Amino acid sequence: MDIEFSQEDLEFQREVVEFIEKNLPTGMDVWTKRTEWFEALREQGGWDVPKWPAEFGGPGFTPTQRYIFDMEMGRRDTPPIIPFGVGMLAPILINYGTKEQQDRFLPGIRDGSVFWCQGYSEPGAGSDLANLQTSAVLSEDGTHYTVNGQKTWTSIAHIANWIFCLTRTSRDGPKQEGITFLLIPMDDPGIRVEPIITLGGAHSVNNVFFTDVQVPLENRVGEEGKGWTYAKGLLIHERTGLAGIQNSVMALDKAKQAARNVKVGNGTLMDVPTFKNRVGELEVELLALEFTELRTLASVSAGGDPGPESSIMKLKGTEIQQRITQLNLEASGIYTAPWGSQAVGPEFARGATSAYLSARAFTIYGGASEVQKDVIAKNVLDLGSSR
Amino acid sequence: MDLSYTEEQLLLRDSVQKFISDKYDISERNKITATEEGFSRENWQLFAELGWLALPFKEEDGGIGGTPVDTMILMEEFGKGLVVEPYLQTVIMVGTALSEAGSAEQKAEVIPSIIDGSLIATFAYAEESAYHDLNYIATSATRDGDSFLINGTKSVVSNAQSAEKILVTARTSGNIDDGDGITLFLVDANHEGISREDYPTVDGLRASEVTFTDIRVPATAVVGDIDGGAAIIEKIARRAILALSAESVGGMEILYTDTIEYTKERVQFDHPLSDFQVLKHRMTEMFMEYSLAKSLCMKAAMLDTQDSDEASRTIHALKYLVGKNGRFVSQNAVQLHGGMGMTEELRIAHYFKRLMVIDSQFGNTDHHLARFVA
Repeated sequence: MDIEFSQEDLEFQREVVEFIEKNLPTGMDVWTKRTEWFEALREQGGWDVPKWPAEFGGPGFTPTQRYIFDMEMGRRDTPPIIPFGVGMLAPILINYGTKEQQDRFLPGIRDGSVFWCQGYSEPGAGSDLANLQTSAVLSEDGTHYTVNGQKTWTSIAHIANWIFCLTRTSRDGPKQEGITFLLIPMDDPGIRVEPIITLGGAHSVNNVFFTDVQVPLENRVGEEGKGWTYAKGLLIHERTGLAGIQNSVMALDKAKQAARNVKVGNGTLMDVPTFKNRVGELEVELLALEFTELRTLASVSAGGDPGPESSIMKLKGTEIQQRITQLNLEASGIYTAPWGSQAVGPEFARGATSAYLSARAFTIYGGASEVQKDVIAKNVLDLGSSR
Repeated sequence: MDLSYTEEQLLLRDSVQKFISDKYDISERNKITATEEGFSRENWQLFAELGWLALPFKEEDGGIGGTPVDTMILMEEFGKGLVVEPYLQTVIMVGTALSEAGSAEQKAEVIPSIIDGSLIATFAYAEESAYHDLNYIATSATRDGDSFLINGTKSVVSNAQSAEKILVTARTSGNIDDGDGITLFLVDANHEGISREDYPTVDGLRASEVTFTDIRVPATAVVGDIDGGAAIIEKIARRAILALSAESVGGMEILYTDTIEYTKERVQFDHPLSDFQVLKHRMTEMFMEYSLAKSLCMKAAMLDTQDSDEASRTIHALKYLVGKNGRFVSQNAVQLHGGMGMTEELRIAHYFKRLMVIDSQFGNTDHHLARFVA
């Protein structure tokens, strides 16, 4: 065993760090200079699409390089990539799409000119996603599908140009086997989007209604009835990515800084034993989770499976994210209450409440924690199905 | 020992329950919080007619002479209805200060107007650098002949935009966080030199940053003794904690019962969610935490008439437990509602936010646990 990266990997790490230091916009520029940042990433050799293989213009990272890249990006306030196109749909198109679909959709995904949203969840299909009912009926001449139904919790549907959807094409057999993966433009007159206002007061998710939406056959990805298989691989991807360890390390650091600014008695909030202990517990758990991720990486780099421990990443990672937002909420004290646009109270307190509220969703979306535990119990620990 | 409610207490509870079921479902409440003042003057008048505004005041002051248990009953029902009218600010906080420490003139001037519903008042105690220390006061009141000059800014003052009177804590001597040297003043809210920055709060209420610039008030504005305000603040805090805790207990009851109802209806994997053992256990835990908080709330309310160490320790224990258990119940109510729990559409989101704010007022869980073990 060797806890250090190889010389080559250390060199790559230096390269990434130098790139970030040279190109990362700071302060307010983070938002205005997004385009330049992604342009620079692209010129570096496909760093704008780190998950894509080399033949599709990606960097062709080794698993270790990918880890180092994500870690260094995660440690800093780098502009986030909207995940649905680059991170979620593209891998499916690359693996299961036709050459025509790849040529048609990948460029728009990559240059950010086409926004995608994900049409999976439905009112009756949340944790039990395979229960989805939105129907797609193939026309008699076999040229198009007619889609009817409703998707829900659809992020950015109100600004997206396209939606990738799981639809039901058959009700015979197991529910997982009648699902088909379709690509649908959002400007279709049969699509209606209604906002859902969430706990934090924000509008980012929506209900999407489909009424007799005609989808040509060439917008189907892969075979009819195989959509579940394609999406499942993606969901596993989504679940590991949701651990957000480096973001948590950064967030915990900020929480500590905030607590040091809160005067309590002769010291600060960081001197309050109960608070300090919670910070300490989180630091320890993050160290352990970070190394768990490295174990997964080592296993994959050696050509093996991610290993059973990889299944805990999303569960533990999201729980840690929530607990960090709670520290910030506690540090904000009486400024938990003020809401709206007024800037009231110390700088660090602003946004703490909405972050805490929004974070409640982390253990719900992408598979509720209770369901994740069931999956681990069944698939990893071999405990069978539970109720 | 008798832990059952009296005939009068049951009547009080029934009348609040009737008000909530007739006039305060969540959509009505949302309409009220969307108005300019954030509460309903009409409801406030009704509270006056029903005698609720007179409840905790002594009979010699024109009140009903209710006990802390009576207030607990009322606040628990308010908690279930998520009532936003400024009862805590006007009746509990300012009312307690006047009842306990007000001069005969102050009582005569203000208490009848509180009781008849014509006067809203609020208590300005919090400051930006104070965190949860009620005695950390930078706002100063300096003597100038027969009067005082008040200067400073108070934070997150509830319902200040609707208040006619503001009870403000100020430092008349000593260091910034000394217990001694604090004085309370009752001032007109529209006094020249008072400026406000109003904003909504996350739980649907209204609050303000209130700045006092060379406010000149006569010595008759002092409530209680000069430099002796800390004891009054403590009394107000104790009553406020009892009221907020009862409100939180009421909120927890709705959160766990709504969750039970929802999981019975929501079908996933071909079964109602309530069939799944892990969720049954979670809801059992929610019920346990609620029950413990309710028990301690009852005990604290019954001990409140004593001025004992046990009474103050119980208050610390209560605020700690209500904060901790309220968080557990709220978080799990949202978790078990899944995506629906994250929407403003269901009422549990609003209870979640109210309980979150309650933990941030008059000291959070850590603050009170530290005092309990001290």
